[in-house]
Amino acid sequence: MSRIRWREEPREQFELTPDRALAYAAPDGAFALYNDYRSRDSVLIRRPAPVLPEEVDRCWREQTEGASPRGLAPRETVEGYGTFTFPYGPISMGVPESGRFDVVTYGERVLELTPLGAYKSRRALPALAGLPVADAGLRVERLAGNFAASHAAAFLQACESATQTPVGLRELTVRAVGQELQRIYNHVHVLARIAEAASQNVGAAQSHALAEEMLRLQGRVFGHRWLFGAFLPGGPARRLEPPDRPHVAAALHARAEEFDELWELFLDSRTFIDRIQSTCPVPRDVAVRWGAVGPTLRATGVPWDDRLRIPEPPYHDLFLALPDERDGDALARLLVRVQEVRASFLLLEQMLDRWPAAGAAAEPPAPPVEPGRGIGRVEAPSGDLVYDVRVSDGRIVGVAARSPSQANWPPFAFGMRGAVFTDFHFAFESFGLVFAETDR
Amino acid sequence: MPSWIEQSAHRGLLTSRYPRVPASDAEVPTTARPPLAGPEGRAAGPGPDRCPVGAIEGVAVDQGRCIRCARCLADGFRFAGAVESSSPSRAALARPAASDAGPDPRRAPLAGLGRSLHLFLVDVGSCNACNLELLALANPLYDASRLGLFFTNSPRHADVLVIVGAPTEEMAEPLRRAYEAMPGPKAVVVLGACGISGGAFRGNPGLRAGCDELVPVDLYVPGCPPTPVQVLDGILSLAGRGRGDR
Repeated sequence: MSRIRWREEPREQFELTPDRALAYAAPDGAFALYNDYRSRDSVLIRRPAPVLPEEVDRCWREQTEGASPRGLAPRETVEGYGTFTFPYGPISMGVPESGRFDVVTYGERVLELTPLGAYKSRRALPALAGLPVADAGLRVERLAGNFAASHAAAFLQACESATQTPVGLRELTVRAVGQELQRIYNHVHVLARIAEAASQNVGAAQSHALAEEMLRLQGRVFGHRWLFGAFLPGGPARRLEPPDRPHVAAALHARAEEFDELWELFLDSRTFIDRIQSTCPVPRDVAVRWGAVGPTLRATGVPWDDRLRIPEPPYHDLFLALPDERDGDALARLLVRVQEVRASFLLLEQMLDRWPAAGAAAEPPAPPVEPGRGIGRVEAPSGDLVYDVRVSDGRIVGVAARSPSQANWPPFAFGMRGAVFTDFHFAFESFGLVFAETDR
Repeated sequence: MPSWIEQSAHRGLLTSRYPRVPASDAEVPTTARPPLAGPEGRAAGPGPDRCPVGAIEGVAVDQGRCIRCARCLADGFRFAGAVESSSPSRAALARPAASDAGPDPRRAPLAGLGRSLHLFLVDVGSCNACNLELLALANPLYDASRLGLFFTNSPRHADVLVIVGAPTEEMAEPLRRAYEAMPGPKAVVVLGACGISGGAFRGNPGLRAGCDELVPVDLYVPGCPPTPVQVLDGILSLAGRGRGDR
C-alpha cells in the first residue's frame, strides 16, 4: 500500500516531441519505453500505430474521453510504471445495471476507480415540469424501482409541504409500512448479492428466497411487487384493513424468524465474514467529509438516521434502535443492514399494532421553504433521500433530488483505492448503489 | 448447532411448479395482469388525461404502453387478462382482443435449442426493477435452471438477449455491439413498458421510442415490471415450449 504514490493535482502532460519519440522508440516495436525526467518514473507510452482501424480508435476514445458519460466521484491522477485505465462496462453482468467504472491499475490492484453514470440517463427530472403531481409521482417512483416507496414518499412529502396540504396519519402510516417493507427487501437483497459473490451458494439461495418472499408480501399488501402507485391517488387497492392486518403481521413474524435463523448461519461461516471484513473501508472522516449517507455513514459510527433526527409522523411515536458499528468496512455496512432489518420488523410490528383510527387528525405538513416550494426528506434503504419540489396550481414547476446513490458514489470510489479486483463485488454491493438513481 | 443442510431441509421445497400448474395469485399480483375494458365495455372510456401515459384509446389498452398504475379501474377497466401476455408483434400488443382469451400464437425462433437457453441482460435505461425481476428467475422460488435457462456473462455465449429499460442514445451503440457479438440462432426479448414504448418516460429528450428501433425484436413482454412468471413464459415460448409441453 505505502508504495503507491498519490498525487492531488493532475500531472502535466509529458510532451512527446517527434525527436524525443525517435530517440526513445524501440526500433521495431509498437511501444516505446522511456524516462520521464521530471517524475523520474518509467512510463509506458502507447505510440499510435500507423494504421489503426478507425473503429478501434473510436472505441478507445469514446471509452475514456466521451463527452456524455460523467464521473460520479472525484478523480485523482495516478501514475507509475505500467499503470493504465481499464474501462469496466457499460454492459457487464457483474453489475446488473448499465454504467461504467474506469479502473486505473497496473494489474491486480485498483489504484483509482471512477464510476461513470449517464449511460442510462432518462432525463426524467426536467421532464416532470408541467405534469400534475400524481402523474409526476408515477415517474418519480420509476427513477429507481427498488427504492420506489422512498422516492414516492419523499416526493409527496415535498409536494404537500409546498402546497400546505395536511395528510391523514393513516395515510402516513401506510407510506411508512411500504418503506419499511422495501427496506427489508433491499437489505436482504444486499445480503444475498454479497453471499453470491462469496460463493456462499446455499446462503445466497436462501436469502434470495427470503427477498422474493418479501416481494410477494408487498404484492399481496399493496397490489404491486415494487409498490409502484401504492401511495398515489387511484393506485392499486391495498389490503391493510381488518381482516388482512393480522395476516400481514403473522407473515412478517414468520419472515423475521426466517431472517434471524439465516443470519445465525452466516455468522457461523468464517470464510464469509473474513471475506468482507476490512474490504473497502471508508474511514469516518472521509465518510463525513464526502457526504456519505445511510448505512455507509452509520457503519463508521455516525448515528445519523432521518427517521430519528427529523422524525415525521408516524416515526416520532415509534421505538427505533440505531445500529452501533464503527469499522466502516463492508462487514460493518452489512452488520448495520442486518440490525436495520430487525429494526424494520420491529417498526412494522409497532405500526400494525397501533394502527391509527380512521378519524385520526390530519398531520400538518412541514412549512414550505418559500411559497410553492417544499422539501421532502426520508431515510431510503441506502440513505438520506431529499426532494426539492416547486408546485404551482397542482402542477410541477421544477424538481431537484439528491439521492443516496449520488451521495455514496464518492465514498465507494475512495474505499476501492488500494483494493484488488476481486473485492469489487463485495464493495459495490455493500453500498447498495443504483445507477438509475443518479438520473437527472 | 444448526447447519445449512438442516436449515434447507427444514424449509423444504420452495420452487414454484409454474409452467405445469397455472401461476398463483402470490406469484402474479393483481396489477401484473393485463388491463382490459370492463364487461360493460364503456365505449366512452376515459379521456387521454385519465391515462397518464396515453395507453388507452376508446376501450383498447395498448399493453405495451400501459404502466399498470391502476387509475383506469375507476372507469370500469379491470386487471383481468391472461397472465401470459407476451407477444411477438407490437401491433398485437397495441390492439389486443377485448376478451380474456390468450394472446395470438407465437413464433419460436430458438426451437432448435430446446432445453438449454443462455440469457444475457442488457439494461438500456431501466429503473432496476426489470433487472431484478429477470434475475429473480435464478432464486429458488422460480429456479429457472430446472427449465434449462441460465444466465451468462458474455454475449458470445448467449442465445437470448434480454433488453430492459427505455433506450437512451448513450446505450444505442453498446446494445448494437452486444447484439452483433451474439452467435446465431439468437433471439431478442424486450421486458417492460419502457423498452417496448418508452413507458413512463416516453417522449423525454434523448430517448428512443422503443428498443425495436435499434435491434430486431422477437418477443415483447409487457408489464411495469413484468413478473418473473411472465418473463419465464415469454422466454420459454421462444424455444417453442408451449404451455402444455414443458
